[in-house]
Amino acid sequence: MLAIKLAFKNIIGAGFRTFLNIAVLSFAFVVIIWHNGVIDGWNKQARRDTIEWEIGRGQLWHPTFDPLDFLSYQDAHAPLSETVQALVEEGQLTPILIAQASAFPQGRMQGVILKGIDPGQKILKIPSGLLEARNGQIPALIGSRMADDIRMKEGDQLLIRWRDKNGTFDALEVIIAGVFDCNVPTIDGGQIWLPLESLRQMLNMPGEATLLVAGENYTGGDAEPWVFRSQDYLLADLDLIIQSKKGGGAIIYGLLLVIALLAIFDTQVLSIFRRQKEIGTYIALGMTRWQVVGIFTVEGSVYSILAILLGALYGAPLLWYTAKVGWALPAASTDMGISIAERIYPVYGAGLIAATIVLVVLASTIVSFLPARKIARLNPTDALKGKIQ
Amino acid sequence: MESIIQIEKLTKRFPVGTGEFTALKDINLAFGKGEFTGFVGPSGSGKTTLLNIIGSLDTPTEGEVTVLGHSIAHLTHRQSAKLRNQHLGFIFQTYNLFPVYTVYENVEFALLLQQMPAAERRKAVLDALEWVGLTDKAHSRPAQLSGGEGQRVAIARAMVKRPAIMLADEPTANLDSKNSHHILQTMAQLNKELKTTFLFATHDEKVMAYLRRIISLEDGRVVKDEAMTPQRQPGV
Ligand SMILES: Nc1ncnc2c1ncn2[C@@H]1O[C@H](COP(=O)(O)OP(=O)(O)O)[C@@H](O)[C@H]1O
Ligand SMILES: [Mg+2]
Repeated sequence: MLAIKLAFKNIIGAGFRTFLNIAVLSFAFVVIIWHNGVIDGWNKQARRDTIEWEIGRGQLWHPTFDPLDFLSYQDAHAPLSETVQALVEEGQLTPILIAQASAFPQGRMQGVILKGIDPGQKILKIPSGLLEARNGQIPALIGSRMADDIRMKEGDQLLIRWRDKNGTFDALEVIIAGVFDCNVPTIDGGQIWLPLESLRQMLNMPGEATLLVAGENYTGGDAEPWVFRSQDYLLADLDLIIQSKKGGGAIIYGLLLVIALLAIFDTQVLSIFRRQKEIGTYIALGMTRWQVVGIFTVEGSVYSILAILLGALYGAPLLWYTAKVGWALPAASTDMGISIAERIYPVYGAGLIAATIVLVVLASTIVSFLPARKIARLNPTDALKGKIQ
Repeated sequence: MESIIQIEKLTKRFPVGTGEFTALKDINLAFGKGEFTGFVGPSGSGKTTLLNIIGSLDTPTEGEVTVLGHSIAHLTHRQSAKLRNQHLGFIFQTYNLFPVYTVYENVEFALLLQQMPAAERRKAVLDALEWVGLTDKAHSRPAQLSGGEGQRVAIARAMVKRPAIMLADEPTANLDSKNSHHILQTMAQLNKELKTTFLFATHDEKVMAYLRRIISLEDGRVVKDEAMTPQRQPGV
């Protein structure tokens, strides 16, 4: 308690240098929170979008289905058992059928994935209700990225060619019934959504599916032969990418933090040198050497406390503002392979703020402890004479 | 008279380069309660070294120094800190006030270390400031004080805890004659009223005029130890 009071006085007495240290440290503090807030916000948004548009409460996969292996699609399908069909009718599950195909936009050939979805499904946000036949043609839905990619818009015709269950090639023209906007690349790029029943007929796979997406109310786990994949399982890749983004940012603010800590370290070394007589006097007045080490160490912590207060002063309105209006990504890159919105709304959780406070206080305490340790080995008579090197 | 400080066969050597320098050699002394005594001698004769060892800021190389029953050589850091905090007051040539604290806080410091209750502490600090006549400067900073006032604050800081022994190393060296007499008067008064033992290290004639015992050092040896009739007394 005494040490904290002393530290405050000493620090405030030190003037401009103190202010500089505190300013840099507070800047590091705010940037750490802001950066992690952006990534957490992005993570939250990406998870929410992925859940709403692609994975629901989890998915039931055909046992041989491997989303990364296109060749597996050919065999990864099975008819729905009565129990599973009952769950589908209750709205707990919605089946998706997947097949590889080629599309011919503007005469070019391009590999695509066909996905059959029930137009009446309510589990995913994909606007499957737009899949209504027009002039007897099969309707297709594509995402806006795909639309840009193949230069198609609503009402255009697209020729697709596929192999059915028996390996026989077949082809037809579908009509683009709608283009949807969404941030989840895995349901957009290279994907063409068709009415489930149409795709079943095209592939000669009546009543079959590759996977089923679970809705809010889904209660079961596995359902023979389907293997249940939980949200966590399906979001693992996303989590991995988010973690690596966090790591990348840590280098930048880590550098900022290091600069601030070096400044504190330097100030401490200088202050121990300059305040030798004071140190000797503390000891003469009856402090132990370690108590004096404590005073100087606490000064470092007080730097961080003042930095946090200063950071709160200008950081709180700043962070609040960014959380409200969001942060427009300089170039919303589509090749990141994960969901990324054009505007991210940072999320500053209590945990993030608490962890950052602990980090900043701990780090600055340690850098002031390191030079202060020297005091413990000090000869008080040398200190009183100002003879320490 | 019962002695509160005993020094037997004290020798102090400092390592210097590859060899050693003997700063104190075979010192034998004893001091009783209420003494007003000075170590005098030329610069480098060992006055400060002796005062530091008595003050448990340094340790003997050989011999035994006992202060208030504590053997200085055998105290741990913690024990010697406690001895200084409770029983010893230091006054330095350069005052050594804490620049960022007010006069009041400087004086209060040792009592905070003793964890004295706030009300008692406040009274003790105000008493000490009254002794040295600086009640009106309680909220000034050391930088705002004159030299004489600074040293009086240092005396108040040392006296506030009512130590048994005061160790004053060249307390007047930075003061003019008027201020020197002022602080010496203050210290002589405290010695008289509270029976505090004062040990000075000095080569200042003005200090010597107040002393009742003068111990002369030369090259780390005691060359003379004589009782004096002080030429100056408190209040005169
Ligand atoms: N830490 C030390 N290392 C080496 N020599 C020292 C040290 N402290 C004091 N001395 C030497 O001991 C002698 C006595 O010093 P000191 O007690 O300060 O003398 P005085 O106070 O009488 O001027 C001096 O010659 C000084 O150089
Ligand atoms: Mg000296």
